[in-house]
Amino acid sequence: MSFYDSILAGISLVGNVDAFLSLFIGIVVGVIGGAIPGLSATMAVALTLPFTFPMQPINGILLLLGVYKGGIFGGSIPAILIKTPGTPASSATILDGYPLAEKGQAGKALGMALWASCTADVVSNLSLILFAGWLASFALNFGPPEFFALIFFSLTIIAGVSGDSLLRGTLSAVAGLILATVGLDLVYGTNRFTFGDSNLMGGLNFIAVLIGLFAIPEVIAMAWDPTGHLGKARSLGKSWVTFREYKDSFFSIIRGSIIGVILGSIPGIGAAPSAFLSYSEARRTSKNKENFGKGEIEGVAAAEAGNNGVAGATLIPLLALGVPGDVITAIIIGAFMIHGLQPGPMMFVLNVDIIYGLFIGLIVSSVMLFAVGSVAIRAFRYVADVPKRILMPAVLVLCIYGVFAVNNNMFDVGVMFAMGWLGYLMVRTRIPAAPFLIAFILGPLLEDNFRQSMLMSGGDVSVFVRGPITWAFWTFSIIALFAIYKSIRNAKTA
Amino acid sequence: MLKVLFKGLNRWLGVFTLIFSAFFAFYAIPNWVYSPSNIRNIVLSPTFWPYVLAGILAFSGVALIITKQTPSTDQDTPAPAIGGMRPYMRLVILAIIMGSTMYLLPRLGMVWTTMLTFVATAFFFGTRYPKAAVVSAILVPLILYAFFAHVAGVAIPQGNFVRLP
Repeated sequence: MSFYDSILAGISLVGNVDAFLSLFIGIVVGVIGGAIPGLSATMAVALTLPFTFPMQPINGILLLLGVYKGGIFGGSIPAILIKTPGTPASSATILDGYPLAEKGQAGKALGMALWASCTADVVSNLSLILFAGWLASFALNFGPPEFFALIFFSLTIIAGVSGDSLLRGTLSAVAGLILATVGLDLVYGTNRFTFGDSNLMGGLNFIAVLIGLFAIPEVIAMAWDPTGHLGKARSLGKSWVTFREYKDSFFSIIRGSIIGVILGSIPGIGAAPSAFLSYSEARRTSKNKENFGKGEIEGVAAAEAGNNGVAGATLIPLLALGVPGDVITAIIIGAFMIHGLQPGPMMFVLNVDIIYGLFIGLIVSSVMLFAVGSVAIRAFRYVADVPKRILMPAVLVLCIYGVFAVNNNMFDVGVMFAMGWLGYLMVRTRIPAAPFLIAFILGPLLEDNFRQSMLMSGGDVSVFVRGPITWAFWTFSIIALFAIYKSIRNAKTA
Repeated sequence: MLKVLFKGLNRWLGVFTLIFSAFFAFYAIPNWVYSPSNIRNIVLSPTFWPYVLAGILAFSGVALIITKQTPSTDQDTPAPAIGGMRPYMRLVILAIIMGSTMYLLPRLGMVWTTMLTFVATAFFFGTRYPKAAVVSAILVPLILYAFFAHVAGVAIPQGNFVRLP
């Protein structure tokens, strides 16, 4: 199929009201979810996932991508207004956004956040369109040993999402890998940790584990401290961002977008480090560097460009290699699987219409994000007024319905509750949940490709270094492990 | 109590991890993973991968014990709003609500059970808007039922008593 045919196939798939409505609703939900501290973009994507079950695959995935993009922007609203990032990605936005709000210029900060987010989003989407296909065509040469080396490299993601302790991150990841072994053995079909229960033979339901780990701990945390969330939204002020201010910050926005694209396309780094790197680069080179941290509009632009630049780029490894770039794309992989799609190089051959449909939808999403974001900035104070002590019971009920709907199985609801308590215990013991989830997804792939490679080679381990692709991934893994070791040493000496 | 625990958090986690890895390697895998007896290559056995994980787990446990015990900053750890055992009691009550939900779901049906769960949690959390909580408790499960049962085609459990269309 030619490039032109592929675009036409994509247009025929998304050229209808349903697709764009799904995307629009997704962005609205994402902005609201991201704007409510404690809900987060991750949780918003997780809670939206069950609603995609009855939808066409392309519409369901567009809905989730809308939530993802809206959520990343939405997180900047409470970061600026109440100094509480709605998502971790918005942490850097606080540095200058909140001081601007203190000066009565919250509207200006939010306006710049929106402009920078949408610009970065366009850059990120274009990068996805340009590079994902190329990477996928390269990945078509992969066999099980190459995939094993790639997934091993992807597990270095865990360092990026481990928070303040790599060891606790590793512990979390190993727990995820162990949980992923539950079910029938991939080669021999024998039972592993099923305890004779047929519910466990297919393994633990991914959605139940995911929602349990990310949504239920918030409900439990509410029981621990029912009044800890109380905060006040402030007024927007009368000043709004001008085109001149946008033009003055344009270079920082583009640089932040590129930083976001580069870091986003490497699995595991995520939006928060990208935002901080973009911010620090803007501060280093700005002529107003002494004003950074005190309410510099360029600081808001750089931080937001950094975190939104990641949103499209994380889909590059997802679509091209079938490897999640961060936690949210790990959830989105679940949506692909539920709709019978397997992200990866073969998707560019078998489902090229969906790939190009997604590309078209993503381009449109930047425009929609701008429209929805403009309204959301003004409407946030009403959204923030939703009492959290009513919101959380609603989240709990939604989780029950959503998890049950995956397999029409009450057992999954029990798994969700159990995982919720485990997730809360992890929060309390400061064990990050993200490595658990990523390992839970990648674990079966890692084992499957390992055993397939060993079957292919008759037990000869040299199959794992059989060609330049495997060498490249082992080299990347060694570099990543060395970088992790170095960062730990630097942190200790600091 | 928490501060004492977190003072040596990694050590506690390390000890627990080591105990669990020993249990996993010496009891769980031999008893709960079934491997055909005619496997020629050990790496293809269904038990191989779990044993590798048990090894990594043990290694992580040792590393957690011998690593420098970082003091807690308490920034990521939610502090209890009210001291003493009351926060723990609230956790127990929430666990009871969740357990009751699981018990009632197949008996009362999903809609009625989740209505009760909604009301129970909202009042348990001390909502300042009781009327809004009750209205939401009725509407949210009904809307979700309508979506999942009539749009998504999911067979939502109806229970043994009142059945919805």
